[in-house]
Parts: sequence; C-alpha cells; structure tokens
Amino acid sequence: MRRAALALLAALWAGTAAAQVPPPTPALTADLSTDRVEISTGFTGASVLVFGATENLIGPASGEDVLVVATGPSQPTVVRRKVNVLGFWVNGPAATFPEVPGFYAIAATRPVWELLPEDTRRASRLGLDALPLRATGSQAPAFRAALLDLKQQDRRWQEYAAPVTVAGGRLFSARVAFPDTVQTGDYRIEVLLLRERRIVARQELFLRVERVGTAASIAHVARTAPLLYGVGCVLLAALAGWLGSVLFRRS
Amino acid sequence: MQVYLPIAEMSVDALLLLGIGFGVGWLSGLFGVGGGFLLTPLLILIGIPSPVAVASGANQTLGASVSGLIAQWRRDNVDARMGVVLLAGGIVGSALGVQLFALLRRAGQVDLAVAVFYVVVLGTVGLLMVRESVRAILRRRRTGSAAAARAHEHTWLHGLPFKIRFRKSRLYISIVPPLLIGFGIGVLSAVMGVGGGFMLVPAMIYLLGMPTSVVIGTSLFQVVFVSANVTLLQALQVGSVDIVLTLLLLAGGVAGAQFGAAMGTKLRGEETRALLGLLVLSVALGLLWDLVRAPENLFAIGPVP
Repeated sequence: MRRAALALLAALWAGTAAAQVPPPTPALTADLSTDRVEISTGFTGASVLVFGATENLIGPASGEDVLVVATGPSQPTVVRRKVNVLGFWVNGPAATFPEVPGFYAIAATRPVWELLPEDTRRASRLGLDALPLRATGSQAPAFRAALLDLKQQDRRWQEYAAPVTVAGGRLFSARVAFPDTVQTGDYRIEVLLLRERRIVARQELFLRVERVGTAASIAHVARTAPLLYGVGCVLLAALAGWLGSVLFRRS
Repeated sequence: MQVYLPIAEMSVDALLLLGIGFGVGWLSGLFGVGGGFLLTPLLILIGIPSPVAVASGANQTLGASVSGLIAQWRRDNVDARMGVVLLAGGIVGSALGVQLFALLRRAGQVDLAVAVFYVVVLGTVGLLMVRESVRAILRRRRTGSAAAARAHEHTWLHGLPFKIRFRKSRLYISIVPPLLIGFGIGVLSAVMGVGGGFMLVPAMIYLLGMPTSVVIGTSLFQVVFVSANVTLLQALQVGSVDIVLTLLLLAGGVAGAQFGAAMGTKLRGEETRALLGLLVLSVALGLLWDLVRAPENLFAIGPVP
C-alpha cells in the first residue's frame, strides 16, 4: 500500500517536471550523405559523410563533444596462430569470436577515453577497447590483441582514422570510409553528444550496403542456384576457350 | 582499372589479372599444359582467398584447355578411347578430391594442405622431368641423334587383366593403370585447382608408354572434362567459383597461349621438357620457402567456415 502511494507520488512529480521543460529544440541533429552504399562491378570502397549541427557550441569552451560510431553486421571471426611443426609453419590453436562487428569505426572531437567513464563506454560499445570480444577456443589474450590488430590493418575496424571536423562552432562532419572488402548488410551509425562525462543526446542513423547490378546478380545466382551457376561457369569458360581458338587460329 | 570480384568480395586491378592470364597462357601454350599449377599460387599471392583461387583456377584451366583441345582435335592428335578411360578415373577422383577439400576447409588447414600438395607434387614432377630431359639431351650430344624411346618394354603393368586396344596410342594394355592415373590426378586437381596436364603428360609418356604425338591432345581431353567437373562440384559444395575472375584470366590467357604455342614449335622436345621441369621445380621451391620461413605475423584472421 505504502509502496503504491510512493510510486504514484513519483509519477506525479515526474509529470510536473516534464511539463516545466520548454518544448525542446533538439540538442543534436545529424544525417548521412547517403543511406545506401552500392557495390557495383567497379567498386573500390566508399566513403559516407556524417554531418549535423548542435544547439550549443562544440569545443572546450562549452565542454561539449561529438562522437560518431559506425557498426556493421556481426561477422563471426576465427583467429589462428601459426605454430612451427617439424620446421613447417602450420595453423595451430585458434580462437573463435562468434559476435564481433564486421565493421566498426569511431571518430570523435576528442578521444573517447577522455570523455566518458569506462562503464558508459562498455555499455554503449564506444571504442575498440570497449567492444565485448568474447572468444571460444583458446582464451589467450594474444588472440584478442591479434584480432584488434589485424582488423585495423585491413581497415575494417577504425579508431580515429578520420577526424570529426567542426565548422562555425556548431556544424560538424565526419567521414566513414568503407574498404572494398566491406560486407553487405545493415549498418548503424550513431551520433552522440557528450557533456560532463555523460551522453546528453544521441541519434541513430541507418545505412544499407548492398551489391547492385552484375555483381549482385552473380552473387545471388551463385548462392541461390549453385548448380545453375556451376553449369554457367563451365559453359562460359568453354565458350571463351572456343572463341580464343577461333580468334587466334594460326593454321 | 579496378574491378570488383563478386564471389571473392574484393576488388583487384583488371590489368593485373589480364597480365597474369597472358603470362600463364604464354607458358601453357609453350609447354602444352593448362598452366593451373602456376595460376593458383599466383592468385593466392595477390591476395585472392585460397578457396576462390582453387575453384576459379580450375574454371580458367577448363577454358584454356578447350582452346588447346580444339586445335589438337583438328590435327587428329587425340586418343579419345584412352581419354575416356582416364576420364572415368578422373571423375571419381575429382569428386573425392572436392570432398577432401571441403573437409580441409572446415578443419582450417586448407592453406597448408594446398601448399603441401603443391610442394610435394610439383617437386616430384619437376625433378623427374628435369632428370629425364637432361639425360635425353646428354644422350643426344653423345650419340648425335635422339635415342629411340624404350618402346614396348614389358613390365608388370602388362600382366594386368582387362586389356583393351588403344589404336591411336598403338597400345594393347590393361585399363587398370590409366584408370588409376586418372583417379589420382582427379583427386590432386580438385585440391590444387589444376587440370593436371603437367602430371598427366609425363605419366602418359613414362608410365603408359604412349607416343608423344597423341599425349598432349589426349591430356587436354581429360583436363577439359575433369576441370569442368571440379568447377561444377566446387560451385555446388564450396560456392567459390568467381566467374568474373575466370573470364578476366581467360581473356589474357587465350591470347598468350597462341604466342606461346608459336614459340614452342621452335624448341626441341627435350629442351621444352627441361624448361617446363625447371619452371615446375622453381614454383615448388618458392612455395616450400613460404612454408618454412618465419611468418611476418603469427596470427591470421578469417571468417568462421
């Protein structure tokens, strides 16, 4: 009984508190230059512009910072360590990371570890060191380090690779660069506004990476009708060989 | 000019692929082999994932061999009966080889297996070819003429049952040895992504005693069908044939093969075999070096198979 009354009081208080706040001008607005990245036959990677504006000035004067995080679909990854067996280097122990993002990029006006306490970073997965990288198989920390290292080498994971630039104190923009090995699927881009070691506003944007045109049809047929695709490959190669023998006939 | 490979899921320089195709085609025209044993390692070297390199290499070999087979067929240099017997073994062998490949892929050892197969097979074939051809060259120097082949030497091979007559090869032998040879080469071609011409040609000459004139045409006959089978099975079971990659390689390859073939007619048989042997041997040594030297990075990442 007492507990219910307390809950009612709390609800009433919350309601009046909300009513006192003036109709909000958004603290943060952001958008993407495109919501689709198309992989066509000439694809060599793509870069997407994330841009927006804040209500207050960004920078050390106001203590506000902007953070942009792009996360791709989950891509289970195996890390293998080579071992020397009788003089030959062979794949030895392995660690499987069942849930790691295939793509991850973070950019900010200041490095995130200066802006947020560790538990917030871990909860919102901000920063490569805050990603929950759980492994099955070998648990040695070297596998985790190798995963971080190799993913960054092939640019699938990026930490402050590109800056968040600020113009006129309020307009910000950042580029997210996708390498040519980018996975298809849905990507989530989060834009966060930070003040006094807290997240004060966030906006989620979505981006789709998909194959289009010939590349799309080839991959689609290869996956859904492998027999048809195989026969097609055999016939096309034979045709190309026959064409070659006709074109370059020397007798 | 960059082009995106839809199955390999990466983009590569189209001119580089055309160039590789041309170079390998040139060598294969010169030596009368498919060139897959050079192509697959080269593709892996430029960063194509091994499953895609093996499967697309087989597909490219198919196209290149069709081109050569047509030329040989016109000259009546194909022993179709021998080809069919080799093929019967080859189809079974390549079906088994694709299963083996899928198994290795799941075990995470496919890179190692492909490399070891290459080193062992290429090393053996290369050594045998160099040894034989150097002997032949020395013998010619000494006697002043090419020594007669050791034709019709009777070995235990001739005591086997199920003998049939191969008219074009001028042979009357059991079908067991060609079946076994076809089978073994079928397994190897599935795992290595090669047609097997470089193994089949010496096997037909030295093991079966076929006359050199029909060997290349007959080997191409077998290679066309085995590589077609490998392509089909790889597409079905592993899903790693990249047709864009194949066609780019073929475009360079069929042109290169013609230049190579024109040059090949100027070389003597033993010299050609010695050069091919050296080439095969150097590929084997290069791959062996890759296996034994300390890797730059002990760790490698890949998708979960």
